[in-house]
Amino acid sequence: MKNEEILRVEKLKVQFLNREKLKFSARKTGRWKIVLDEISFSIIEGETFGIVGETGSGKSTLARTLVGIYKPKSGRITLMGREINFKKREDLLYLRKNVGIVFQDPVGSLNPRLKIREIIREGLAIEEKLSRIDQDKKIDEISDLVGLADSKLDSYPNEISGGEKQRVSLARALVNNKRILILDEPTSSLDVSIQAQILNLLRKLKDELSITYIFITHDFNVIRYMCDRIGVLYYGQILEISSVHDIYENPLHPYSSDLMNANITLETENKFDSQYEIGEPSRSGCIYLNSCMKKFEKCNISPPEFNVNGRLVKCWLYESGKL
Amino acid sequence: MINIPGVISQEKGLKSELLLVKGLTVDFETFDKKIEVLKDVSLKIERGEVVTIVGESGSGKSTLAQAIIGVLDTPPAFVKRGEIYFDGVRIFPTDGKRVKFRGTGINMVFQEPLVSLNPVYTIRKQLLEAAEIGGIPEKGGEREKVIKNTLTELMIRDVERVLNSYPHQLSGGMRQRAAIAMAVIQRPKLVILDEPTTGLDLIVQRKIMGLLLNLRREINTSLLIITHDLAVAANMADRIYVMYAGRIVESGTRGDIIKDPLHPYSLMLRDSVPTGYKESGPLKVTEGAPPDMSALPTGCPFHPRCPNVMDICRKNVPPLKNIGDVREVACWLYEK
Ligand SMILES: Nc1ncnc2c1ncn2[C@@H]1O[C@H](COP(=O)(O)OP(=O)(O)O)[C@@H](O)[C@H]1O
Ligand SMILES: Nc1ncnc2c1ncn2[C@@H]1O[C@H](COP(=O)(O)OP(=O)(O)O)[C@@H](O)[C@H]1O
Ligand SMILES: [Mg+2]
Ligand SMILES: [Mg+2]
Repeated sequence: MKNEEILRVEKLKVQFLNREKLKFSARKTGRWKIVLDEISFSIIEGETFGIVGETGSGKSTLARTLVGIYKPKSGRITLMGREINFKKREDLLYLRKNVGIVFQDPVGSLNPRLKIREIIREGLAIEEKLSRIDQDKKIDEISDLVGLADSKLDSYPNEISGGEKQRVSLARALVNNKRILILDEPTSSLDVSIQAQILNLLRKLKDELSITYIFITHDFNVIRYMCDRIGVLYYGQILEISSVHDIYENPLHPYSSDLMNANITLETENKFDSQYEIGEPSRSGCIYLNSCMKKFEKCNISPPEFNVNGRLVKCWLYESGKL
Repeated sequence: MINIPGVISQEKGLKSELLLVKGLTVDFETFDKKIEVLKDVSLKIERGEVVTIVGESGSGKSTLAQAIIGVLDTPPAFVKRGEIYFDGVRIFPTDGKRVKFRGTGINMVFQEPLVSLNPVYTIRKQLLEAAEIGGIPEKGGEREKVIKNTLTELMIRDVERVLNSYPHQLSGGMRQRAAIAMAVIQRPKLVILDEPTTGLDLIVQRKIMGLLLNLRREINTSLLIITHDLAVAANMADRIYVMYAGRIVESGTRGDIIKDPLHPYSLMLRDSVPTGYKESGPLKVTEGAPPDMSALPTGCPFHPRCPNVMDICRKNVPPLKNIGDVREVACWLYEK
C-alpha cells in the first residue's frame, strides 16, 4: 500500500429540510436538520476505510454525498488532488467516473423492468463514446469477475437470488474502472453463507482491481474482517478514527468503547446481562454527553479532534494527546 | 398479537417438556405444484430453556413457528403429519375438539412486526391489554407504569409518542420493539420470536435479549428464537437446532453446535461468520445457495454444496440419528 492520500474530506456539512418535527434524529437548528456536522477524514490509496455507526447516524448520506447525489452545505472534498466544485458539471462527472457506489438496498436499486445486462450497462452511461459491442464486452468481463453466470444476464431482477443481486450491483458499479468503491451495507440483507461469499469476492476484487474501498456497515465482525482503518460515526459526527486493530484492542472514545463492549461474537457468551444506556444526542457540548460514563465539566464544550499517536479522537479525555 | 393461552382441559400426562413437536410435515400446495416445506421436524423445549433455530432464508423456520401456534394459511399450507404438545396437552391435531384456554401460554413475535400488532388500536391500548393478560393489577396506574418501563428498557426515547401512535405511524424498528414489549408484558410460558433482532442496532439488540432473559429468570419463561445470526444463537441459546431445506440436520447444546459442529452445513454456517482481522484469510464457504424447495436435489439436500460429499449422499437422504444424549445429526459421515 502506498501511503498516498486519494480522498480528503474537510468539514463536510450536509443538511436537509426538517420535515419530521418530533423525531430525535439529528441535531436540529430550526428549519434544517444537520445530518453531517463538519466531518473530516482522509483516505489512503488502496486501503479499506470502514464507517460504522448506528441507524440514522448519517452513513448513507455520506455515501451519497461522496458520489455527488447530495450537495454539501459547506466543506471541501478533494479527490486525487482536485477539489470538487459541486456546482460544476465536469467536477461531478470527474467524481462519478472515479467513485463508484453499491447502494444499501440491493432490491430497490435495481430497475425491475430491465434485464440484468441493461442494468449493468447503466454503469457505462457516463462513458462517452463506447460502441455497443465494446460495452457488451466490458459487461461480459465484469460479470465474469464478480462471478455472475452468463445465463443470468438475460434474466430480470426478480428472477435472481439476493446474492446474485448484490453481484449485479457490484458489476454495475465496477464495469467502468473506478479508483474508489463505496459499499453501503453491502451484505446486511444477505444470509450468512451468501454474505461470506460476497465478502470473499470483495477481497478478491480489491486485489485484482487495486481499488480503494469505503466500507459502510453496522456489523462489527464484518468491519474488523474487511477494513484497515475505521471512522466511528455518531449522529453526524466522527468521534474516532483509528486502525481496526487499535480500536478493537483499545477503543479510545467512550462511545467506541461502549460499542465494542456491546458487540457479540461466536466466542462471547451471554453478553446480554450488561447494562447499556445510550441516551439521545446532546444538543450542546459534546454530542455523546448524555450517554457518557466518563464525562466531566469540560464536556459542556464541544471537543475538537485530538491526535493521539496518529489516532483521531473527539473527546476531552485526550486533550494532552497522550493515552 | 397471537396468544395461545394456557390449556386447561384435554388429556393430560405427557412428559415434562413445555413444547414437544413430533414429525411435523407441511406441504405448500399451489395450483401448479406441491412443495414439502417441512419434512419430519421434531423438537422439544424444556421449561425455562432457550432454544434457537438457525438456518438460511427459505429453510422453513417461519413456517415451523406458524405451524406451532396454528396460524398457517390453509391453503396453501397443509399439515400432512405430526403432533404438537404444549404444557402436557396435545394442541395439534385436536380431533375437532375445541381446546379450552385460560391464562397465558404461547406468545409469538412475527418476523414482520405489523402482523403482531392490531392496526386499528394505538400501541397504548394494545400494551394495556397485554398488561391485563399478564395479570398486572389496574389500580395505582400499575399497568401504565409497566408498559412505560418496558418501552424505556427497549431504548425507546419518546415513549409518549410511541404509546399514542397506531402501528402504521411507527418505523419498522419501533414496531418490532412494541411487538416484543407486548409479548414480554403478557408474561407467557413460551415466547416464540421470528428473527427478532434483524435490522436493529447493536445496543437495542442487547436490550431486547436482556429483557427476554430477565423474563426467564423471573418466571422461568422458555424462549424459541429463530435467527440467522449465529452470534445471537451463540450468546443466547441453551440448545440449537440447525435447519436446511425444511429439515433439521443437526441439534445439540450451544457448545456442540458452535464449537464442534458435526454436520458440514453447521460447520459452513459457523465458518461464514468472520471472527478475525483482515489477515485471517478467506472465509471457508463453498459457492452455491440453499436449494429451491420445489426442485430439491436427490439424496441429501446439502450434497451439491457439501465439501465432503460421497456417493451415497447423492442417492439417499441421511436419517436424523441420535449421537449422545442431546445431540442429533443427519449426515452419512456419522453413519457407522
Ligand atoms: N433525503 C433526505 N431528506 C431528509 N432527511 C434525510 C434524507 N436522507 C437522510 N435523511 C435523514 O438523515 C439522517 C441520517 O440518515 P442516513 O444517512 O440514511 O443514516 P444511516 O445510513 O446511517 O442509517 C436520518 O435522520 C434520516 O432521516
Ligand atoms: N404462501 C406460500 N406459498 C408457497 N410457498 C411458500 C409460502 N410461504 C413460504 N413458502 C415457501 O416455504 C419455504 C419456507 O419458507 P419460510 O418458512 O418462510 O422459510 P424461512 O423462515 O426459513 O426463511 C420457502 O421455500 C418458501 O418459498
Ligand atoms: Mg444507511
Ligand atoms: Mg422467516
